[in-house]
Amino acid sequence: MKDSDVIVLDEPRMSLGDQFYFPQVLIGLGTTFKHMLRVLGGTDRVIQYPEEKREDLPVEQGGMLEQTYKGVHRLNKDEEGRVKCVACFMCSTACPARCIHIEAAESPWPDREKYPAKFDIDELRCIYCGMCEEACPVDAIELTHIYDIVGLTRQEMIFDKSKLLKIFDQTVKNEPM
Amino acid sequence: MDLDFDHIVNLIASWVPAWVFIAVIVHLVVLGTVAYLILLERKVASWVQDRIGPNRVGFDFGLLPFLRGMNGFGQPLADGLKFIFKEDYRARGVDKILFTLAPGLMIVVIIISIAVIPWGGVMQTTRKFDVTRDVRRGVDPRDAGLAAVPIGASPVSPNGAVPPPPAEGMAGGLGRANAELARAQAVRDTIPVETRNEVTDEGGITRTYATVTYRYAFQIADLNIGVLFILAALSLAVYGVVIGGWASNNKYSFLGGLRATVNMISYEIPMGLCVLCIVVMFGTLDLGEIVNKQAHYWVGFIPAWNVFTQPLAFLMFLVCIHAEANRAPFDLAEAEQELVGGYHTEYSSMRFALFFLGEYAGMITTSAVCVALFFGGWHLPWVEWAWPALKGNVAGAGPEVTTSLVAAIARGLIFFLKTLIIIFVFMWVRWSLPRFRFDQLMMLAWRALIPISLALLLMNALVLYFARGLLQPGLLVDGRLALVFVVANVILLAATMIVSTLLPAPPDMNRKIAIPGSRFLNTPLPARA
Repeated sequence: MKDSDVIVLDEPRMSLGDQFYFPQVLIGLGTTFKHMLRVLGGTDRVIQYPEEKREDLPVEQGGMLEQTYKGVHRLNKDEEGRVKCVACFMCSTACPARCIHIEAAESPWPDREKYPAKFDIDELRCIYCGMCEEACPVDAIELTHIYDIVGLTRQEMIFDKSKLLKIFDQTVKNEPM
Repeated sequence: MDLDFDHIVNLIASWVPAWVFIAVIVHLVVLGTVAYLILLERKVASWVQDRIGPNRVGFDFGLLPFLRGMNGFGQPLADGLKFIFKEDYRARGVDKILFTLAPGLMIVVIIISIAVIPWGGVMQTTRKFDVTRDVRRGVDPRDAGLAAVPIGASPVSPNGAVPPPPAEGMAGGLGRANAELARAQAVRDTIPVETRNEVTDEGGITRTYATVTYRYAFQIADLNIGVLFILAALSLAVYGVVIGGWASNNKYSFLGGLRATVNMISYEIPMGLCVLCIVVMFGTLDLGEIVNKQAHYWVGFIPAWNVFTQPLAFLMFLVCIHAEANRAPFDLAEAEQELVGGYHTEYSSMRFALFFLGEYAGMITTSAVCVALFFGGWHLPWVEWAWPALKGNVAGAGPEVTTSLVAAIARGLIFFLKTLIIIFVFMWVRWSLPRFRFDQLMMLAWRALIPISLALLLMNALVLYFARGLLQPGLLVDGRLALVFVVANVILLAATMIVSTLLPAPPDMNRKIAIPGSRFLNTPLPARA
């Protein structure tokens, strides 16, 4: 770095009111008081989480658009109730967090070659970017709006195929495929 | 033996002075308020930040669903329990005695300074004492009546005919004592004594009653140098911070302590000068007297509070008590971003809680002083036209003397409410303004507050000298004099603004300085525009 690269910035000049500091203090106090009034008047408030949830609110009032939210994954089923996935590994290849582990097996059904014998997603590693959803050629994996998942162990947070299929059953009503 | 209620009250009153009860109540209220101030602080913080604040902890303890929530009113209890059950950790290498002493020192000093706050003026009571037994022993009924007066109370003559001893400035010693003695003698001579024959089962009995009127102040210590006491005691509070910082054997704590000292030394001066403006105006150091002199009106309806005559002094005093209480924007002593935690880095559990309580108790004390000096203390304007007992209802006495206990307690509540409003301003400021840099802190004190407050004191003295003809008897400030003060304040403010533009610019601070060996050595420092 050369000396000529150094840019010397001057402080902005202060007006007389700024120099006295006090008028600016009053303006600042006014700003915070406005915020206080807004909260106390009830026009501007935070959502009281366990009692109120974003998915229950209309979108205009800060609610959640369930169709586009990127939450926990689900594995979609086809019309016959079979897992839609064809174990092509596209999702696990696309996954930047490498949290999808698939074991493919020969499909018991005639209309496809493979199906996932195991399909595990480590929800703790997942960054909920939605790349798997984008990569899937058969729309088998999707992100749902569910965000409040808890577990007591790390093992519990690795969702297997049956769990992911169960999430499909939970969410298919609000979020059709 | 007739152990009726009256007798018990007399018995207690003759052994326990009234100020003991007041002290117990005041301390319970103050300490309880401190706990809730922490809740209020968190609430104000969240309101400013568009949040709601703690609203989960009620008094349900998991059992009583109807007490759940309660807008977070159980939070102080939960915080207290948490503090008690946390580990009381003490690092190796700390100075054990001072480390333990420091939090206690801070809170004790702050609480004793509450003693001189005039919460409720003066209460006057008239009681009839049965002095039959003493009279049979040959004691003069008047002396027996005086002896029955509760300790800590001062008897006066019933119709207020005996004036208080003249306050002769500094005349103390024997002259003062003689005046007191003469006054006591005069009071004694006016006590009405009544003798009655009462018929009982055992026959006739002659009973003698003495009716004694006495007054006691609704404050813990009725000091006539209350202002000095407050200034002295509040300056001691910084010792808790300094000793705590030093005893922790931690350089960050130590730095916090040092910063608190510098803060205190710089801001004590303008604070004292602002207080002096009031003292010069009223000619008294008695906080109660200062409040009494504000309990009247200008032009019939403007309350004669000092905040109107001394707005500049009030503003500077407000700034100084922010610094004195180590609150934002002057909280350099506990700047988390620079000093880990400040002077209380090494403290945990109840010791830390004591520092915390000390900070909030300090806010209460300084705000109460501010209310007494500038906002008329217990004086609630306009309401007393509907309720005369609130403003003294004893003819010939000052506005502080009331005969109604309810009014005296109401005055205490009014005082407390005003204090809470000032405390709210403290919190509001804390969550609005960023912390000063150290050089800005010093500049504000030494380049702005101290010269202005000195000029203000001089101005007050000049106004009082040249407008002394307007001073009412009893050193009261009337509407005309108040107007003179307001005009003088405006002139001083304008003069300050003009002079400050003529002053040379402050030295270049916080600028890049060429250090030998630095790769920026050859860069010329830019000349200031």
